[in-house]
Amino acid sequence: MAQLIELPRRAVETTAAAVTTPFRPLLPDHSVDEWGRDDHLVRLLWPMARLRWNVGIGGLAHLPARTGALLVTNERRWSYSPLYVAWALSHATDRPVRFVGRPDHAPFGAALRRVGALLDDPTEVHGALRHGELVVAAAATTNHPRHAGTVDHEIVGAAVTARVAVIPVASMSSAFGRAARVEVGPPVRPRRTRRGPLAEIEIAEATRRHLQRILDELGGMQTGMPVVDWLGEG
Amino acid sequence: MTRVNGQRLLVSGMGGELGSLVASLLEREPWVGALCGIDVDPPRRRLRRAEFHRIEPADRERIVDVVTRFDPHVLIHLAVWEPDARAGTAHARRFTADATTAFLGAAAECPSLESIVVRSGIELYGRHRHALTRPDETVAPHPTSEYGRMVERIESVAAAVAARIGVAVGSLRLAPVLGPHVPSPLGRLLRQPVVPFSVLADPPFAVVEDADAARAFVRAAELRLDRPLNVVAPGAITGLQAVLRGRRVPLPLAGPEWWITRQLSHLGGAPIPEHVMEVLHRGRLADGTQAHDVLGFQPARSTPEVIDRLFAWESVVRITKDQPPSSVEVVA
Repeated sequence: MAQLIELPRRAVETTAAAVTTPFRPLLPDHSVDEWGRDDHLVRLLWPMARLRWNVGIGGLAHLPARTGALLVTNERRWSYSPLYVAWALSHATDRPVRFVGRPDHAPFGAALRRVGALLDDPTEVHGALRHGELVVAAAATTNHPRHAGTVDHEIVGAAVTARVAVIPVASMSSAFGRAARVEVGPPVRPRRTRRGPLAEIEIAEATRRHLQRILDELGGMQTGMPVVDWLGEG
Repeated sequence: MTRVNGQRLLVSGMGGELGSLVASLLEREPWVGALCGIDVDPPRRRLRRAEFHRIEPADRERIVDVVTRFDPHVLIHLAVWEPDARAGTAHARRFTADATTAFLGAAAECPSLESIVVRSGIELYGRHRHALTRPDETVAPHPTSEYGRMVERIESVAAAVAARIGVAVGSLRLAPVLGPHVPSPLGRLLRQPVVPFSVLADPPFAVVEDADAARAFVRAAELRLDRPLNVVAPGAITGLQAVLRGRRVPLPLAGPEWWITRQLSHLGGAPIPEHVMEVLHRGRLADGTQAHDVLGFQPARSTPEVIDRLFAWESVVRITKDQPPSSVEVVA
C-alpha cells in the first residue's frame, strides 16, 4: 500500500507569511494589467516623481474620454519627457497612459514595462491603440528644449491603421528646477484624405508643425542672456 | 449560422482532461449526432454518448481505420503532449508528432470532413528579444521553445492537409491551461512550497482555465472556425504575485542558480521545461479579443481568478463510499 505524503500546508503558509509580511505593502498580489503596467507601482512612485517634476497640465479637454489616442510629445535630450508626460496625464485623467521606448532586456526593460513602457515597435503600439489605450510617443530628441524633432511616421502609421487620433503634446521641463509643463493640443486633422502610406507621412509632418506651434506659444525664459535662458529652460 | 443536426465529431486526445471536458460539453450540444474519441488513456469523466477507442499514437493503422470508418464532419485534434506534463520532452515530442501525422492524415481520407480544429498554444509566438508584449493572431509564429515548435508544426501540418482537401482549419492558441486535474508543469511548479521567480524581470503572464478552453473548442467546432485564435483569460499576473496569492515561499533568483533550482525542482517532482522557464523569465501574454469577436466567447475566469483556484484545488481527493469527491466539478 502506497503511503501518501502531504505538503505541510500550515508550515509553508506560516513561513511564507513571515518572509513576505515586511514587503507586503510594496508587493501587491495583483496589480499588473495585460500590458505589464503595474498601477500600484506607478502610484507608489508618483510622489517621488513629483519631487523631480512639478507638472502643470493644460488642454486636457482634447484627450478622448474612452478611446485610444497617440500622443506625440517633444523630447529634449535627457529630459525623459515621455515618462513624466505619461505619468502626469495618467494622474490627471485616471487612465493608464503608456509610453513608447523600452529596451527589451532585464532589469531596465522589465522595470520600464512595469511603469507603462511599450516596445518601440509600430505593431506593439498599434495593438495598444486598437484596445483603446493612450500611448505617448516622443518625437526625435533635440538639444533645444523648444524645438520639436521629427515624428516617426511608422509610429503614426500605427495610429492611422488603428483609426485613432494623433494629438500633439508639448512638454517643457527644467534641467535644474522642478517646474514642468505639459500642454495637450487639438488632434491633428490631415488636409487631405489619403488611402496609402502618404497619410501617416503627412500626419507626422503636420504633428511636428502643431507641436512646434504649441512650443512657440508656451514661450520661454527671457533674461537677455541666451545661455541662462537655455539653462533655465533646461 | 444554421447548423445541421446530426454532425459526426471526432475528438483526438479524448482521454486527457481537456479532451474529456470537450467531449462532455459536446454530448450536450443538440447539433452533435455521433461522437467518437481516441486516446492512449481512457477518458477522465463519465461520457454517456461518446464512443471511445484506446489506441497508442504510434499505431497509425488502427487510428486510420477507426477514423475513416467513423468519417467525421469535424475533427477536434487535442492529442498534444505538453513537455513535462505527462511525459518528458523527448517523449512528448514523439507522441505529438505521431498523433499529428496519424489523425490529420486519416482525416484527409474522410469524404465527409468539413472542418479541422487543432489545439495550439501561444508559445508559438516565442519570446525572443523584441518579441511583442501582447501578440495577436496576425503576428508571425517565431517559437523559441520546444513546445512552441511542436504546436507550430501541428498548425502547419493541419494547414497543409486542409489546403489539399479543401476544408476549413482553425487553431486555438491556448495560454497555459490550468485546471484541477490538468497535468501542467506551470501549475505543478506554482503549487510547490517554495517557488522560484526571476527577481530581475518578474514578467507578467496569462493563463486560461481548462473549462474555458473546452468551451472555446466547442464553439470553434460549431462555427467551423477557419483561422487561428488566441484563447487567453483576461488580466495578467507575475510569478511573484502568483506566489504571494498562493501563500508560498518566494525564492528570488537572478542567474546561474536557476540551473540548480531546475534540477532540484525536477527531483522534487515538478520539472521546469523550457517553455515554463520562458514564462518566468520573459512572460507570456497574448491578445485574446478576436476569440470574443469571432466565437462570441469570453472566458468565465480571469487570470488572477484561475491562479487563485489553482491554489484552492485540493492536493488529495479522498473518496469514500458516503462522500463523493468535492473537487469534481460540473462544467455547465
